[in-house]
Amino acid sequence: MIWEVFRQEKRGGYHTHCGNVHAPDREMALMFAEIQHARRKPTTSLWVVPKDDIAEVDAEETSFGGATDKSYRWVAGYTHTRPPETETAEDAAEVVLSAEQQDEAEKGREELNNA
Amino acid sequence: MSTTDQTTYNGPDGLAEEEREALEALLYRLADDELVVAERYIEWAVVAPTIESDIALTNIAQDELGHARLWYDLLADFGEDERTLVFERDPASFRHSTLVELPFEDGDWADAIVRSYLYDIAEQLRLEALAETSYLPLRDRVGKVLKEERYHREHAQNWLERLVTSDEGTENVQVAVDRLFPYALTLFEATEEADERFVEFGLQTRSLGEMREDWLDVVIPFLESLGVDVPEFDDAADLLPEKLGRDGEHTDTWPALHADMTHSYNELGRPEPEKIMDRDE
Repeated sequence: MIWEVFRQEKRGGYHTHCGNVHAPDREMALMFAEIQHARRKPTTSLWVVPKDDIAEVDAEETSFGGATDKSYRWVAGYTHTRPPETETAEDAAEVVLSAEQQDEAEKGREELNNA
Repeated sequence: MSTTDQTTYNGPDGLAEEEREALEALLYRLADDELVVAERYIEWAVVAPTIESDIALTNIAQDELGHARLWYDLLADFGEDERTLVFERDPASFRHSTLVELPFEDGDWADAIVRSYLYDIAEQLRLEALAETSYLPLRDRVGKVLKEERYHREHAQNWLERLVTSDEGTENVQVAVDRLFPYALTLFEATEEADERFVEFGLQTRSLGEMREDWLDVVIPFLESLGVDVPEFDDAADLLPEKLGRDGEHTDTWPALHADMTHSYNELGRPEPEKIMDRDE
């Protein structure tokens, strides 16, 4: 009986398929997988799954993602974007004022500390 | 249990002559067992029942070799090195139990499994009796070795439970138990340097006799639960085989195994054993 083995490298990460083992039952499969697939690689967890219990659909049997143009799903599909708004003189003045106020406040704090 | 007034030792300095002798005897028993059991397990590489069982058993052999290295390394503090400890050592000076040196019959997987079961249960008891040893460099190493032993025991037990699911498998296990059980008892045999002094100097917190009782209490019920009979005895010592190993008396199979083990070293005329790992601290 073949058991597919999935290994997790870091806590919270995905279990990634890393191979299989032959074993008569789940306990032996875990025991063999531990040596065969986790001995030399960083491992936080292993899953073993009977190969026959895995359901599969193949690209030969279906058309993954549909058959028609779905380029609207991707950012790259949008070639026209709006140009950025031009900054106004008013916006610029506001920024300068804010910077001056912050400088003044800092100077005030330093004077207090030195007093 | 260790007593709180037990003197501890940070290294060879401060050991009295008798204490040093007892410690060396203890380390040779440990290291030689691990080296030789591994040497036999490795014979299963490529010929085990399946590739998975091959990898599992040879991996256990690698673990045991690693443990042997840890114990031999402690003997290096008494002026020995790999050359004198293994490759150029007189086979008659090895102190391993005769259980670990016996050859396997061709394809007798049940022997490998029964042997590792009997050995690994004893191994666990022995390491637990060393967890509080007065020799601190030894104590420091016991913890990490014990961690690896869990897999060894589970491996043997899982296999045994499955081997006895058929009549043929049960018969094979029974034959292996009948043959190996008396040899396994040699694991606990005392010698002139061993045992009483191990406990007296705080090197070990249980005596060999106590450990043998503990071992019998684990092994017999487990094997019987599988439907396997254990040889009957009034006194376990009556079952002991002729050659004990612990006193340097080995079976006829040992010199050939030792020759195999040192073959490459001798044939290639290596002046020094290859050192592939630094001292493990």
